[in-house]
Amino acid sequence: MIKAQRTAAFIASRLVSVVLTIAGATLLLFLMMRLVPGDFASVMLGPRATPELRVQITQAMGLDRSIPEQLWLFFSRIATGDFGVDVVSNRPILDIVMDVIPNTLALAFSALALALLVGIPIGVIAALKPGSWLDSGLALLSISFITTPTLVVSVALFLVFAIGLHWLPVAGAGEPGDTIDQLRHLILPSVALALGWIGYISRLVRASLLDTLAELHVRTLRAYGVSEYRIVGLYSLKLALVPIVSILGIGLGELIGSSVVVEIIFARPGIGSLIFNSIAQRNYPIVQACVVFIVTFYIIANLMVDMINALLDPRIAAGRG
Amino acid sequence: MAISVRNLSVDYNLSHVTAHALRDISLEIGKGEILGLVGESGSGKSTVAFALMGLLANNAKVTSGTATIGGRSYDLTRRDATAPLRGRGMAMIFQDPMLSLNPVFTVGTQLCEVLRRRLPGGDRKAHVAMAEEALAKVKLSDPKRRMGQYPHELSGGMRQRVVIAMALLSEPVLLIADEPTTALDVTVEAQIMREIVSLRDRIGCAVLLITHSLGLVTEYCDRISVLYAGERLEHGTVKQVQQQPGHPYTRMLFDCEVAIDRQRAVNVTENRFTVIPGELPDPFRRPSGCIFNGRCDVSFDACATTVPDEFAVGDAADHGARCLLLAGS
Repeated sequence: MIKAQRTAAFIASRLVSVVLTIAGATLLLFLMMRLVPGDFASVMLGPRATPELRVQITQAMGLDRSIPEQLWLFFSRIATGDFGVDVVSNRPILDIVMDVIPNTLALAFSALALALLVGIPIGVIAALKPGSWLDSGLALLSISFITTPTLVVSVALFLVFAIGLHWLPVAGAGEPGDTIDQLRHLILPSVALALGWIGYISRLVRASLLDTLAELHVRTLRAYGVSEYRIVGLYSLKLALVPIVSILGIGLGELIGSSVVVEIIFARPGIGSLIFNSIAQRNYPIVQACVVFIVTFYIIANLMVDMINALLDPRIAAGRG
Repeated sequence: MAISVRNLSVDYNLSHVTAHALRDISLEIGKGEILGLVGESGSGKSTVAFALMGLLANNAKVTSGTATIGGRSYDLTRRDATAPLRGRGMAMIFQDPMLSLNPVFTVGTQLCEVLRRRLPGGDRKAHVAMAEEALAKVKLSDPKRRMGQYPHELSGGMRQRVVIAMALLSEPVLLIADEPTTALDVTVEAQIMREIVSLRDRIGCAVLLITHSLGLVTEYCDRISVLYAGERLEHGTVKQVQQQPGHPYTRMLFDCEVAIDRQRAVNVTENRFTVIPGELPDPFRRPSGCIFNGRCDVSFDACATTVPDEFAVGDAADHGARCLLLAGS
């Protein structure tokens, strides 16, 4: 099968570029951290640390070695999944990060799913009758969703549904092992995170769908009596989703960024709150590990985006997109 | 007559002004006949097609016109009058096959969609078999493989065959082909025209062939209607019109055709094409008198003031032209 070979070659070339991108991003990150003035040991220990303790920490973190040597150590260790041991808690850094990753992933993906499930239908409805009062109303709604900062939405939801009405839990990620409790803890943060994206996605779907509906192949379907529901909801939507999926790939990185705010307000353990706390403690190794994780996540997300798009639009897989 | 269109008039509303795209166009096509609708760009040829299909742009309005298709009469001023006929009684082949198929669905899916409309409730397997058969009928090689292919994997000529297969599957009473070969290579043109003719032979439908090529019309059509600036200036059988053009415009159009054996000057810049000087009249303000007056080579005083009626050309009852020169004869 030529088609299967072509698809395999496409995926292989993408995978190679993924590995190179992760390596490049990590290198950049490493060098940026080393550009920060002052040495890590004294920043972390504060002005009243004894010189002995400073030397001890410096050696433990490998900061007394040359930059190329540090770089080699850093790369060779993270390649085997070894991010080192946290000097504050004495726990492996990988464990610390892995503990909170499921919470952040659950938050990001439930927000994304919510944004798609609500945003796409709003966009489709708006595109059905452009210029109508319904279209204008949905535009107003979407734009107000986009322009309200996540911080404000989070606080408002928190005050109304958790503090005021007591419908949903106030803080945390729920009891480990208790799925129902975890889901209840997920509702408010994911709504807060998704709201802006509902607005974005509905506007993007509307614009992209209107562009697609103006294309000539839509006229062909109309000429053959295909119902408007199938033309819009099936034939045009599939084509209109291609640019939206691409934007989602970039958006996922932003979603993780916004999760910092949401996780802090709802006191949810997660990558966002871990970075925030680690920066406050000047715990750079943990920040570094978190950022490596985010870069990896971002790249995997974009790889998935490319694959989804190749499925949606066969011209992309054929390299003609 | 299997198909007739009476007094079709279409206006386009462009912010504050109204352009009259068609004025009182009438057409007749017999069962199994091919009518060639010719005219320059902007004469309103495609507007006729889209008015019949009910697929005009939103700013277009049919101000008058009725169509009789398959024994039933349709009031074309109602936008959706012919909607029930789309994909059942009427089918259309479009100008640009590169753009007229959906790029993200397979050929098979798009063909089956036509059957889903014409034979609702039919089972998918039977539809696939019928679609494959239709691809074989339009002489597309390896129909089974084509079903799973996407439009970008096919050439322009192959895509146009797919659209013809769609038309074939919808078994229309009226097939409208809107410049079906304009976007294709000349070498493919004859093949595509042959498929359209063989579709007509299979189904026995009436065909409205919209084209600016008189060559195509004389080769493939039974009848011809000449459109100019939204008005029909002449109609008749191809033979009648070719031998005795009743309207100066028709004669000048035929004169513009370049004969393949014409002597060429050694210095190419000395080669001259015959052209019709002037431009189409202002679509916003129709000049008084004959619409072709400004460009006519035999016009006289009355042409500027009198709108000519249709007069019979020669003895034939079905050959008419709107020219004052015919008034005396």
